[in-house]
Amino acid sequence: MRIVDLSRLAVGAVTAHRSRSFLTALGIAVGIAAVVLLTSIGEGVHRFVLQEFSQFGTNIIAVTPGKTETFGISGAQISNVRPLSLDDSAALGRLEQVVAVMPVVQGNAEVESKGRTRRTMILGVGSELPRVWSMDVSAGRFLPPDDQRAPRAFVVLGAKVRSELFGNRNPLGQRLGVGGRRFRVIGVMEAKGQFLGFDLDDAVYVPAGKALELFDRESLMEIDLVYRAGASADSVRTGIERLLRARHGSDDFTVTTQQQMLDVLGSVLGVLTFAVAALGGISLFVGGVGILTIMTIAVRERRSEIGLLRALGARRGQVLRLFLLESLLLSAIGGLVGLALGLGLALTIKFLVPSLPVHPSLEYAALAELLALVIGLTAGVLPARHAAKLQPLDALRAE
Amino acid sequence: MTSRDVLAYAIGSVIGYRARTLLTLLAMGIGVASVVMLTALGEGARNYVTGEFQSLGTHLLIVLPGRSETTGGPPPLLGETPRDLTLDDALAVARSRAVRRIAPIAIGSAGVSYREREREVMIVGSTSAFLEVRHLRISSGRFLPEGDPRRMSPVCVLGAKLKHELFGSASAIGRWVRIGDRRFRVIGVLASEGRSIGVDIQDIVIIPVAAAQALFDSFSLFRVLVEARSDEAIPRATNDIRRIIRQRHEGEDDVTVISQDAVVATFDKIFTALTLTVAGIASISLVVAGILIMNVMLVAVSQRTSEVGLLKALGASSAAILRVFLAEATILSLVGATAGVVVGYVVIEFVDQAYPLLPLSAPLWAVACAVAVALVTGVLFGVLPARRAARLDPVAALAGR
Repeated sequence: MRIVDLSRLAVGAVTAHRSRSFLTALGIAVGIAAVVLLTSIGEGVHRFVLQEFSQFGTNIIAVTPGKTETFGISGAQISNVRPLSLDDSAALGRLEQVVAVMPVVQGNAEVESKGRTRRTMILGVGSELPRVWSMDVSAGRFLPPDDQRAPRAFVVLGAKVRSELFGNRNPLGQRLGVGGRRFRVIGVMEAKGQFLGFDLDDAVYVPAGKALELFDRESLMEIDLVYRAGASADSVRTGIERLLRARHGSDDFTVTTQQQMLDVLGSVLGVLTFAVAALGGISLFVGGVGILTIMTIAVRERRSEIGLLRALGARRGQVLRLFLLESLLLSAIGGLVGLALGLGLALTIKFLVPSLPVHPSLEYAALAELLALVIGLTAGVLPARHAAKLQPLDALRAE
Repeated sequence: MTSRDVLAYAIGSVIGYRARTLLTLLAMGIGVASVVMLTALGEGARNYVTGEFQSLGTHLLIVLPGRSETTGGPPPLLGETPRDLTLDDALAVARSRAVRRIAPIAIGSAGVSYREREREVMIVGSTSAFLEVRHLRISSGRFLPEGDPRRMSPVCVLGAKLKHELFGSASAIGRWVRIGDRRFRVIGVLASEGRSIGVDIQDIVIIPVAAAQALFDSFSLFRVLVEARSDEAIPRATNDIRRIIRQRHEGEDDVTVISQDAVVATFDKIFTALTLTVAGIASISLVVAGILIMNVMLVAVSQRTSEVGLLKALGASSAAILRVFLAEATILSLVGATAGVVVGYVVIEFVDQAYPLLPLSAPLWAVACAVAVALVTGVLFGVLPARRAARLDPVAALAGR
């Protein structure tokens, strides 16, 4: 039997029982559509989170006090016996490949202007913030590069604080009370939105030195620095570690590169996407059982046909191939329909709910299609072997 | 046809086509079993987490310095404020009648050393009430002594892991360790089963709160844990805390009060939503199984055309034929679902034995839902083939056309 004949026979068998083939393929299609849709959502969330993190740039390294390697709040950020100081920050800025450095102190206080008050986040930072966190001022200018030990009392407002306290009035040059101390507004940040639940617009930015005074503390909570693009993160990291070890006499700090953070997040989210895909895979598996069932029935029904083929000289291998091809065809059609269905649904969701991150992943789609073929093949093996093993005489006599 | 006849006939045909029946049952069983197992996993995780939170203490309120204007937003976690939440504030709160006891907490990080071994860990400054408020247990020695919290006696209680790292199997009680630049005498070791969310309670040192404030040279507390007298007293305690702090802070309302119950409720909601989503995704496979049942029934109808013709010729009504095929679809989905539930429970039991830490239990509603969905899809997808059978013309059917 030529390939053409073989295919024609298989296609004929599939089209002969139209509703049956349709339902079998539908089972696979639903499974594939589920996998494609779910992985699209998983991939979308993955991209969304990574984008959230890398919006600050990717050449960032964070230095925090304390030698604990956990995310979340470490005790050392709140109090410690070996502070991370403004001088440390300045010293890090003089490292070779570091292009910008910024101390960070965070707290909460009441800000007040002409009788209007608001409790908000206070960020004590350095003049390099626009560069380090990739944020920009929308009016005025950012904090000047003062000596951090005696900075001038300037403040830059987050977009939300500005509108809450000043409405439409021009805040530039106005006085602002921050935790009972007087600052002068020199700029307003452009709206940045939420970052992992923190509203960066509901914040005011003051010099880190002033924030340390305000909160009466010695230690910074973090030092963020940006290294030259193209420099290796590891070499910068070793440089930082050597410098701080020399200054402190011990390993009492933690260095986290942005890349490390992204890698950890990426792997966590990858596992998540895979898990979701596996959940959808259950349906695919059930669809596979469906193919198995229908092929078993088909072999039983077509015993006489098989007998005839064999009597006419078709070899076992050819009968085997015939039924395998049929089940492969069913799963391939189902897979393609499912692919179209899943992608269509994903795009519909993207269109209807733009805030939900949906990103159809071609890799997963191709993988799902491949999986459908494998399932079809595996499900077809047993019935096809059964058909191939039939004795021509017995089979012919079946009817 | 009596309903007994219908049933007998349907069962007969289900048993008659063994391979086909088994495969259909397998499909349905996989679907139901996966729903049962996944919801059990979700429920287990939910129970675990809420249990963890509840073990942190009952009727618990957490007071943290600082406050955000936007309600519903995250509380200011790194509690730095211009006006500290002080030990005196905490002691004033303790005088409210709705409050049973309080545990002020100051935290920080420092190196703890004994002879040549040093380890940097979290230092928790608190009072003797901490043990009971947080439901911790002591494995040897005793906890921080009662008395005036403002006294800074140089004593400490070690977490189990830290004790092991510093002392190995030797006894630690009575030894002097160095924390930062001060010396403390070990008076107790925490029991190792104490678990806690967020903080590894095994790897901490607990010292008197005044000593922690001196060590870190800071008068601000990180949190104050407040245990209300009862569940009913929680709102009253919340109001009292706000009022007392406002009085002491010159009218400024600069603390956040979170009730443990609210936190637990949030987690409960998240996990329930998660379980529902996972169950929903898994039940797509039930639909696929339903499609298979429809397919198999269609095949059955076309195979048994002459049989149906005979039945009709013998006087069976269309309704009776409909019932026969519906009964067959129902049996398939019901038996499949039952098998799935049994397999699901066996697997859960097995996993439960292997990992006793995560108590798995399939919620009854999920099992009921899975079986119901299986039945409904089975019957629904059975309707079309059954109607096709019922509509057959007896003469044409008998002729096998």
